[in-house]
Amino acid sequence: MGVNKYQPHVLVLLEDDANRQLVNGFLLEVDSISKIQILHEVGGWKKVLTSFRDDYINDMERFPQRFMVLLFDLDNQGENRLEFAKTYIPSHLTERVFILTTLDEPEDLKKAKLGHLETVGEALAKDCRDGTDMTWNHPLLKHNEDELNRLRKHVRPILFQS
Amino acid sequence: MIRRLYIHNFRCLENFELPISGQPSVLLIGKNGAGKTTVSFALEILQGIARGTNRVRDLVNPRDATRGRTDVPMRFEIEVELDANIYEYVIAFELPKDFKELRVLEENLVVDGRPVYTREKAQVHLAKTSQEKDAEFFIDWHMVALPIVQERSKTDPLSIFKRWLASMLILRPIPSLIDGNSEQDTLHPNAEVTNFGAWFSGLLAYAPAAYGEIATYLKQVMPDLNDIKNPLIGADSRSLVVQFSYELGSLNLPFKELSDGEKCFMISALVLAAHKASDKLFCFWDEPDNYLALDEVGHFVTALRKAFRTGGGQFIATSHNPEAIRRFSDENTLVLHRKNHFEPTLVRPLSEIQVSGDLIGALIRGDV
Repeated sequence: MGVNKYQPHVLVLLEDDANRQLVNGFLLEVDSISKIQILHEVGGWKKVLTSFRDDYINDMERFPQRFMVLLFDLDNQGENRLEFAKTYIPSHLTERVFILTTLDEPEDLKKAKLGHLETVGEALAKDCRDGTDMTWNHPLLKHNEDELNRLRKHVRPILFQS
Repeated sequence: MIRRLYIHNFRCLENFELPISGQPSVLLIGKNGAGKTTVSFALEILQGIARGTNRVRDLVNPRDATRGRTDVPMRFEIEVELDANIYEYVIAFELPKDFKELRVLEENLVVDGRPVYTREKAQVHLAKTSQEKDAEFFIDWHMVALPIVQERSKTDPLSIFKRWLASMLILRPIPSLIDGNSEQDTLHPNAEVTNFGAWFSGLLAYAPAAYGEIATYLKQVMPDLNDIKNPLIGADSRSLVVQFSYELGSLNLPFKELSDGEKCFMISALVLAAHKASDKLFCFWDEPDNYLALDEVGHFVTALRKAFRTGGGQFIATSHNPEAIRRFSDENTLVLHRKNHFEPTLVRPLSEIQVSGDLIGALIRGDV
């Protein structure tokens, strides 16, 4: 059930353990789990970007059906960090690369009483699937709105049946 | 779903309680010898009782007592929620002086706080029901009562609990020993799953729609799979054949010629189908990631976790595999730890343990 790299598929590159647990919850709601592969936590927001640049750009060019989601924390650096991150994505790949972030760090979602990180991940996936924004509208996540809309257009059909 | 599992004086498990209440899926991690697999051995004793093994020596032996402490009772307690009813079953064994075989010290089945039967040594007390008076009788104290006490009907709480306990899947597959041959049907695979063929036949006889579930899963993991046949090869025996097809033709492979990993896919397909067919299914799979390619592990584990979220069942896995460990989270990962062979197993939720950096790194460093 490994991903078929010649068919549309999604790789998720993530910063740390908290992001991993968010993604675990997301996966439990995905209909086509064979079309998504979660990569190892790289241990830092900047490492997500350098790892993407050094390890994944070539293969994204080789496999045009590959989409990537970069998941990291903004640590309250907001726009500056997002703009900086975008400089790592070559213009010919921007359609297939998505950046999702938490305003500070995912642990804040737990503190905001949204439940365990896995539970938050499940809620985020349900929003993606159902076209709702209940959890994505949370102040810690709301800034992802534009990326979420792009994800719904390009990635949702890969992972969800309807 | 198991609400409570308590084990005392069984191998490395002393005063041991597994905190899995309310969790549809749980991962047990810990170093070699920490006691992960021993939990499955304890469950297998309870499963064996429900499947009809009633002679104590066929279930436990004095050498199963922790560090040979035969002066202390060996105790197994399980509390299960089925259709909003709470079933509590307790069995304790002891080894009196000059005995060579353990005997039953205590045995009780209680449903929603009301005893179905209680027992002390040889004396069994059957509780009064709406139809019948209470009763007392004696049985050999080397025999467990649960398989012997007469069930009154299929809806009798005793019958419901026994069926559930017997249906528990405790899996430690050895693919090289699985040949796909069978001479009878069963819904009860053994731990090594060497009776896979019989389980396949039994499951389809019990729930023919299970084939659809099996095929759907297997076609995801083996896209060229076309069909699974189970033809007669003798008067009473069958042998599974797996058919693959491609643009250029098709290929029939005897089940035994599948790879070890492919046989694990087959087992997973049956677990998923059995869960769908019977709900409330409990499955303990010791190292489900064994034999799987690295890019398959996460999907394999997630598929099982995802399925067991519904239906009131429960899936417990053990693992040393980083990819399997990553697919569980802090609140559903339990860490088993044992300082040395003279001390008991301790269990703690990962969420209560401070882990620096990523979990896998901490496990490699031995910091968890």
